[in-house]
Amino acid sequence: MNGSADRMRRAFIWSWTGAVIVFMYLPAVSLLLASSTSSRYFIFPVTKWGFDWWQKTFASLEVHQLFKTSLVIALCVTAVAVVIALFGALAFARYEWKGRSIYQKIVLLPIFFPQTVLGLALLLWFNALGFTMSWQTAVFAHLVWIIPVCTLVISIQVYSFDPALEEAAFDLGATRWQVFREVTLPVLFPGIFSGALFAFLLSWGNFPLSLYTTGADTTLPEYLYAKMIAGYTPGVPVLGTVSTIGAAFLLIGSYGLILAMRRARQSATE
Amino acid sequence: MAGTPILQLRNLTKVFGNFTAVNDIDLDFEEGEFFTIVGPSGSGKTTLLRMLTGMEFASSGDILLRGQRINDLPANKRPTCMVFQSLALFPHRSVGQNIEFSLKMKGVDPAVRKARALELMLQLRLPETYYSKNVTKCSGGERQRVALARALAYEPDILFFDEPLSAIDYKLRKTLEKELKDIHRETGKTFIYITHSLEEAMVMSDRIGVMRAGKLVQVGSPQEIYSAPQTKFVSEFIGDVNVIAVTAIGAASLRAAEFATNLKCLPVPAGFTAGYLVVRPESLRFVGSPGETDNCLEGRLYNEYVLGSRVQYQVRVGDHVFIVEKLRQQAFGGHRDDKVLIGWDAEGSILVTD
Repeated sequence: MNGSADRMRRAFIWSWTGAVIVFMYLPAVSLLLASSTSSRYFIFPVTKWGFDWWQKTFASLEVHQLFKTSLVIALCVTAVAVVIALFGALAFARYEWKGRSIYQKIVLLPIFFPQTVLGLALLLWFNALGFTMSWQTAVFAHLVWIIPVCTLVISIQVYSFDPALEEAAFDLGATRWQVFREVTLPVLFPGIFSGALFAFLLSWGNFPLSLYTTGADTTLPEYLYAKMIAGYTPGVPVLGTVSTIGAAFLLIGSYGLILAMRRARQSATE
Repeated sequence: MAGTPILQLRNLTKVFGNFTAVNDIDLDFEEGEFFTIVGPSGSGKTTLLRMLTGMEFASSGDILLRGQRINDLPANKRPTCMVFQSLALFPHRSVGQNIEFSLKMKGVDPAVRKARALELMLQLRLPETYYSKNVTKCSGGERQRVALARALAYEPDILFFDEPLSAIDYKLRKTLEKELKDIHRETGKTFIYITHSLEEAMVMSDRIGVMRAGKLVQVGSPQEIYSAPQTKFVSEFIGDVNVIAVTAIGAASLRAAEFATNLKCLPVPAGFTAGYLVVRPESLRFVGSPGETDNCLEGRLYNEYVLGSRVQYQVRVGDHVFIVEKLRQQAFGGHRDDKVLIGWDAEGSILVTD
């Protein structure tokens, strides 16, 4: 009696979980299906299967340029965001100081700005200051929105950091710089790493901020949008799929990297 | 005390805003002694310790290390080291790497570092195989030893301890207290320890300083603190004591207004007018008739607590709670709510001021 009720409950939980996963991933799968057609148009069900569009897309010089622009922007954003966000997170969660609670609110506010409005506002500012829009201005625009997110992600790690660790290192004769390099940085590393991942992925997939601030340069999401508005080819779902799979590999790969590092450290010390 | 003081505090004061955490402390620490500062939370003992280690700077007064003023020297420049309450072991490093930390900071050769770490591990009874063990996988007692080894590797003139045993369960704590005292003997270094537990201080210390509200209220050997507390605060801090408010009415005679009776006490110090009579639970006993002891009160047996080798009885005289303690072998066979007489002799009590 009890066992069957238990089985029922478990079956329900599993099927519910499965339904949620299908719901979340079905769009990505349909993207893959849409890309694997030989016809010119977006028709479901797919009548003629084929990978012609994958070939064409990978051969395209334009697409290479898109990837390069997106990648350069995302890498620059990651590098700058992590440095600023690390110190921002220390101020956010490590130190008690006057005005901290106001700072905590101000630093998080940009996350809640509608990104299209933020993009437009930044465009107006760049114009007023006489900048020409390019991928560099886009980097700056991304930073405005991504640094707060990154700060928040790293802060979570900083909250669980025992300040006595720094004091102990200092008490044992380390200089301020040695304390930072030998204790603070390595202990906070998992948080910094997730912050970097977030920064990269959020920049890589960003559309609204790029739309206003890249000028003559084009990022992948911008290109996809433009192609969907006018001139759709199955190259669009191909790029969409590649971009999604790339992000997934980055996530899984870095998780694997962290596991490998942890295992290497353990086998080195055991 | 013989020898030159290793550390001297002169009018040491620390003020936070309009709160005086440490108030005008004068104290000498002798070379090689185990000194414990005891006080309840908020008494300023942690602030005092942080000033001694250089993690907090004095508002006024001086700290002299072997006669040299070190007030403004930061923690990393002082030849002293602290074992933290949380131990603050570096979680990303192995036992060996933790112990070697200070040597690495000094740029000591890795092989020399390792040799020194192994030497300290041997001294602290940590197995050699632990050298590469992850510190987060060590037990409470092992972590304690790693923290101590890490501090000793720094070769400090003085070792400070900020209640490192407070988070450990009772049985292990008792073992570690003795172990720490043994290590003190083996290293011969000056240990300055803070705790809120006078019991812990008693076990380990050569001398104890009791703090209250930023002031040092009494300094003495564990024996002196136990047998001759000067204030009600210190006497109550020791543990269960019976305290009666009294006024002096003669050379050996006191008035206890609460019980409308006179009490005998030897000696009543000259100049004592009013204060408290402290009677330890083990000095109180159950008596058959009022004449058996110098002082006697009638009460009712309220409850009985068995504490292993000893038994305590709560006796209520009116609303006043008395604790009587006996060895288990001599347990008193009374029942709850029995009328009992409790008594003590004129020599069996201590007079203290507020």
